[in-house]
Amino acid sequence: MSADGAVVRTAEAIAREAIIVGAELAAAHDGQAELVVSIRYPNGVVGHVLLDADAGYALMRSCEIDDLGGLAGQSWRKILEGVKTCSTS
Amino acid sequence: MFDIVIRNGLVVDGEGGPGVLADLAIQDGRIAAIGQNLGEGKQTLDATGRVVAPGFIDPHTHFDAQLLWDGQARPALEHGVTSVIPGNCSLSLAPLKIADRATVVGMFQQIEEMPPEAFTEKFAKWTWEDFAGYCAAIEPDLAINVAPLVGHSLIRLWVMGAESQQRAATADEIVAMQALLRQCLRDRAIGLSTSFVDVDANGRPVPSRFAEFAELDALCQVLGEEGGKMLQVVPEFYDADITIARIDQLADFSLKHGIPTTFSPVFDSHATPKAAPRILDRVAEQFARGARVWPQMQTRPIDISFSMLNPSLFLARLPRWVRVLRQPLEQRIAALNDPATRASMIADCGPDGGEAMFGRLVVRGGDRAPEAYVGRRLGDIARERGEGAAEAAIKISCENGLDVAFLAANGGHDDTGRIGPMLANPLVHIGASDGGAHLASFSTYGDTGYLFSEFVRASGDFTLEQAVKKITADTADIWGIKDRGRLKPGLAADVVVFDADTIARLEERPVHDVPGNGLRYIRSATGVDAVLVNGAVVYADGAYTDARPGAICN
Ligand SMILES: [Zn+2]
Repeated sequence: MSADGAVVRTAEAIAREAIIVGAELAAAHDGQAELVVSIRYPNGVVGHVLLDADAGYALMRSCEIDDLGGLAGQSWRKILEGVKTCSTS
Repeated sequence: MFDIVIRNGLVVDGEGGPGVLADLAIQDGRIAAIGQNLGEGKQTLDATGRVVAPGFIDPHTHFDAQLLWDGQARPALEHGVTSVIPGNCSLSLAPLKIADRATVVGMFQQIEEMPPEAFTEKFAKWTWEDFAGYCAAIEPDLAINVAPLVGHSLIRLWVMGAESQQRAATADEIVAMQALLRQCLRDRAIGLSTSFVDVDANGRPVPSRFAEFAELDALCQVLGEEGGKMLQVVPEFYDADITIARIDQLADFSLKHGIPTTFSPVFDSHATPKAAPRILDRVAEQFARGARVWPQMQTRPIDISFSMLNPSLFLARLPRWVRVLRQPLEQRIAALNDPATRASMIADCGPDGGEAMFGRLVVRGGDRAPEAYVGRRLGDIARERGEGAAEAAIKISCENGLDVAFLAANGGHDDTGRIGPMLANPLVHIGASDGGAHLASFSTYGDTGYLFSEFVRASGDFTLEQAVKKITADTADIWGIKDRGRLKPGLAADVVVFDADTIARLEERPVHDVPGNGLRYIRSATGVDAVLVNGAVVYADGAYTDARPGAICN
């Protein structure tokens, strides 16, 4: 397999994975601010995941960003990583 | 001679038709007559230029504990609310064995944010275990009517003890729960509440969340057999798809057992604009099948509150703030006190020094908020201090150990152009006030005043008469409360006299009136002249009376 072929496969693999496409701040029922992360699944459907402050900051940390704008394009797996670190810390 | 005559008001009877200028006479706690020139009563109230309407009914409250020390459910009464439904969200204070009290107090502390003293100091009256005993404990001092739900978590805890938070029920336990629910309904519970969301003080799911389908189905069977009583539910409201699945489940219970069901909350959020419309579409589909699945929507916007003590996402759009606020407390305080860091944070807010973002915030308490600042806009305080708004937010926080909370009004569910038509949808039940809960977070009072100020006067989504109907006759019909919600001869005389031009909620303010000097936020009413419960004046001319005419009703 050529080096080019490997690159193509990786790009396909990425394309098959759910991707964060944006994040918005919203007001939660209890008067806290929460983060609504939009995720686009490989079939094109966009869904939402709600994160509280701990999980939201943990996600930003796992993406190594300090600006919400930087979330777009990140893998959905970063949410798992972030939530895991925040639940063990 | 009648006991009371309310003269010359615009009588809006709750049915939705145009108001009529008339007198309303009351005798023996009931409406005796509505018509012209009914003469003088032993007591006469002049309602010239005012609306005379049925007392408002608040279907979603957590006044269970407060009613033990405050039979007026302040400040609900002064807003014109004459009947409240406590016991929502799977939580009530009965039936409850003495041995399990601490468990339930923990749940109330978690969900309602009540200090423990609220339960220890004021519970000399805590003599009951069964539902009838709870009703008997609160009834003598009631100024407001109470139609209590019984909580599924309490039923489960009674039957299963600690295992109610560990496992599914056995067939025998389900039968025992059915018998207990039946007894509660016969002891005047208006229905059953359950939750798929709430947690206790230790972060564990409340007992109702361990129920399997068969258990809830069996309990709904009892609701049906006892006359079609209400099932109230907190679904997974943070996710529209799961909420829609719950709507389908509730619809099946409704059709199978002949019961009404209601769920709350439903919010409109700019971050997920399709969610609420999708939920309401599914509700309409289920009503078309004949099911009753009433979504509860609140009138008031959601306010966001935060302090720098517990990092909030409110500040997550400001990278330099994020870097500082996610540090451990000690480093965070040091960074916030460092002039260079402060300057960079302020620069993050743009050329206006944070006026646009921080200037509109209101200082609202936290245990160390300076008295002189509480309730005031940060922009005004900043000018007084000769600082920019962001600078003032940082410095005031630092001066007070970071324990100062700020409120950003209208953080969500605040787009009147979208929410007005949703509230006016005949299938939407106005509720979800949560009165008596979230004490230390925000005020849950005055949603009725806000309905008139925002959705009648400002947006015109409702006529006066439609708005009155929505929170009186509609509510009574949805819940099967037969004696109230309308002005009609023979019905209970729950009446509110108000000024249609001014009725509103006032600004939120902190008070320390929860036993144990506990803090809560409340809003007083304006534009409400008089409130009568069962034919007695309980609030007039800005003051509560000593009358205690309230009753348990269902
Ligand atoms: Zn509730």
